[in-house]
Amino acid sequence: MTEDLLKAATSALREEHSGEDAGANFTRARVMASMHNTRERSRKRWVLVLPIAATFAAATAFATSGRMPALVQSVAAVFGLAQGKESPAELPKPTRAQRRVHVAPKAVPAPVTEPTPEPTVEPVAPETPPVPSAAVTAVRPTPNPAPSAALPDPSHALYLEAHRAHFERGEFARALPAWEDYLRKAPNGRFSLEARYNRAVCLVRLGRSAEARSALVPFASGQFGSYRRNEATALLDSLAP
Amino acid sequence: MTYLVLAPSALQAPAVEEDESLVERLRRGEPTAVGEAYDHHHAAVRAFAQRLVGEAATAEDLVHEVFVALPRASRNFRGESSLRTFLISIAVHHAHHHVRSATRRRAAFSRLEREPSAEVSADPEAIARRKELAQALTRALDTLPIDQRVAFILCEVEERSSRDVAEIVGVPEGTVRTRLFHAKRKLREELEREGFR
Repeated sequence: MTEDLLKAATSALREEHSGEDAGANFTRARVMASMHNTRERSRKRWVLVLPIAATFAAATAFATSGRMPALVQSVAAVFGLAQGKESPAELPKPTRAQRRVHVAPKAVPAPVTEPTPEPTVEPVAPETPPVPSAAVTAVRPTPNPAPSAALPDPSHALYLEAHRAHFERGEFARALPAWEDYLRKAPNGRFSLEARYNRAVCLVRLGRSAEARSALVPFASGQFGSYRRNEATALLDSLAP
Repeated sequence: MTYLVLAPSALQAPAVEEDESLVERLRRGEPTAVGEAYDHHHAAVRAFAQRLVGEAATAEDLVHEVFVALPRASRNFRGESSLRTFLISIAVHHAHHHVRSATRRRAAFSRLEREPSAEVSADPEAIARRKELAQALTRALDTLPIDQRVAFILCEVEERSSRDVAEIVGVPEGTVRTRLFHAKRKLREELEREGFR
């Protein structure tokens, strides 16, 4: 008897709840909204966490690379907190990182040259650097960047010497070999292009027209882009027989 | 003891291949996949939730929880059962606190109600009797431990096989049968105690 009753109750319960409900659409909207919120939270979390993690990873990598002291010193120098040059006693091991510390501070306007070989610079060769020439024959000094105080780079001293001879003293006979010395020392240096042009200008000033033409042609032909192209063309025109 | 092995639901279940592609999309986190899963299976999940919990509003909360949990849970879906069966197992795992709270509410309200609901129908007496029986069974289910309650709903009300239920609940078939045996015995006693003959 109760067995039948239980079956009847079970059947009644089954029929009572068929799963169809007027709130089905509402629940669907709730589910989709919850999913959207979850995605948004997750996205925001990543937006926040990723940069932090990347910064941490980069800082860790940087610290382990041994450049951290150099960075600290550079930052200190920028804010005027540097204690001056470190004495040799403070630098027990002249590591690569520490060597870079010496290079870093000079980086204001100073020339940084690359120690490439190729020690020869043919005077006749096809190159010449930057110096805007105002008139056809007149050679105007280039606005060279002023070298900074601490410059351990020897090629820079050569550059300075050539610059002084050329623009301050107007001694082109001295400036010419000085430019060539500089180019020999740093043929691919930061100011090599300018030095080539100035060398060509010196040749013009000294009346060595054939060599001057050879030196100016690469500039005029656009071998170095638009750098001193117009000036070189004007100079070549003035040298024409 | 033998059990009927019927279709879990009168509703048409989607094809297996369709389930597989849907699960794949769920795993990839495609937003539309959840909506699609809902459209295919919400009625079955809701029916189970309503029968188990005995309250429409609480059942809706459970349905909501099941589908929100689906994308993460789908990573554990091995394809050995249908997606619908998998959804029911998620519902079982999320049902405990819903059942407890619904049981408490019913116990509190049972002292106040006891009035037959007014329902207009061709045979109001039969409908009232059916409703009364369903409510009595729900109250009787409140006296069962959750495991026995789940076993009874899945085996008797939803007419699933004991093997199917064992898979949903994650226990051996023998355990399901034992739970069902005790559940039915207690339910009979409880219905008799309520005055149903």
